[in-house]
Amino acid sequence: MDSKKITVAIGLVIGVISALLVKFGNPANMGFCIACFIRDTAGALGLHRAQPVQYIRPEIIGLVLGSCIAAIGGKEFQARGGSAPMTRFVLGFFVMVGALMFLGCPFRMVLRLAGGDLNAVMGLAGFFIGILAGVFFLNKGYTLKRSYRLPIAEGTIMPAVQIVLLVLLVAAPAFIFFSGNFPDVKGPGKAHAAIIISLCAGLVVGYLCQKSRFCMAGGFRDFILFKETRLLLGFAAIFAAALAVNIFIGKFKLGFEAQPVAHTDFLWNFLGMALVGLASVLLGGCPLRQLILSGEGSTDSAITALGLLVGSAFCHNFGLASSAAGATFNGKAAVVIGIIVTAAIGFANCAENKEA
Amino acid sequence: MIYIATFFSHFGATRFKRYCDSLGIPAQTMPVPRGLSSSCGTCTKFETQQLPDYGKHTDELEKIAAVTDNGFETVYESEV
Repeated sequence: MDSKKITVAIGLVIGVISALLVKFGNPANMGFCIACFIRDTAGALGLHRAQPVQYIRPEIIGLVLGSCIAAIGGKEFQARGGSAPMTRFVLGFFVMVGALMFLGCPFRMVLRLAGGDLNAVMGLAGFFIGILAGVFFLNKGYTLKRSYRLPIAEGTIMPAVQIVLLVLLVAAPAFIFFSGNFPDVKGPGKAHAAIIISLCAGLVVGYLCQKSRFCMAGGFRDFILFKETRLLLGFAAIFAAALAVNIFIGKFKLGFEAQPVAHTDFLWNFLGMALVGLASVLLGGCPLRQLILSGEGSTDSAITALGLLVGSAFCHNFGLASSAAGATFNGKAAVVIGIIVTAAIGFANCAENKEA
Repeated sequence: MIYIATFFSHFGATRFKRYCDSLGIPAQTMPVPRGLSSSCGTCTKFETQQLPDYGKHTDELEKIAAVTDNGFETVYESEV
């Protein structure tokens, strides 16, 4: 079977799993969301105190460990790092600012579309424009310079942290915050599938994403640069499979209004995902891809994941995150700052500028 | 012989492509084949009977592989 057919087959499996996670208890149109789930985990660890969004998401744990298992099995696990770690941290931070403006990462954007949420169309348009801007920097010689081999122990830290998180989730000590512990609180943190189901789903999807090199930003980037459609077809398959399952289980609702964990502010849905698209191209991959690479031993991607984690805590501590009520003033200001800072990083790391 | 060179950055691939162009070696940039590297980045595919001197590019060069009937055969791999 050629690689496109394999990628489509994997996309179909991921789409079915993602939609079924909603059936098993995850928030609607949120079988997977890298941004939301890292945000929930940040809340559970007490990095922010937004009670509706506090839960250690097993899907994130599974994604990293599934990737790690696939990489070790395929002899591709390699500890690497040293490619502009602070820049990657900042870019990861602003990816989260953009994602929590839109209320979802690129993966959830596809799942929102598959659930009939037309607000995600504006997010998709913004994401595409952001990637176009990122490609502009690539064509100008943008580079964060190379990574280097590191001791193997360095690459195992991120997977090891996931095991610690799994222990904390199962043991549920008093110092971990769970939305479910607050009877009067409503929010996505209370909606989750059983731990074993979420963990297995994460493991399978992490394994498949490592094998297929799934990357939403990479899909658009490769199409723009090379007219290569393999990764885009994979995401089309995720959309098609999730759409079919959503219709089958009665979770499909077409429209703009009253969509789950979403708002109808077109401009800020657009700009939020434009920031995500731009920063993802400059990072070399979307948030999902960063988690997968961190499981393969990339400490650069692990640093990016830390940027996502800290970014999510900032978003909730300083009122940057949107809600169903819409975007906040602080969030709008942060997205504008994020676009400026990310573009500045793009210009500052263009080889043409340095050679001039 | 067809070769594929993978790099640590998109910039490295485009610069190596320009280098091949300057030597008259047919070359193109493209996504890294799934079976060659876990990177989702860009590689340079080029066709030549004799590998060009890639010494100036080793800082950005991850790997050079020859395309064979059975897949890929690595002829250079960065040690750092």
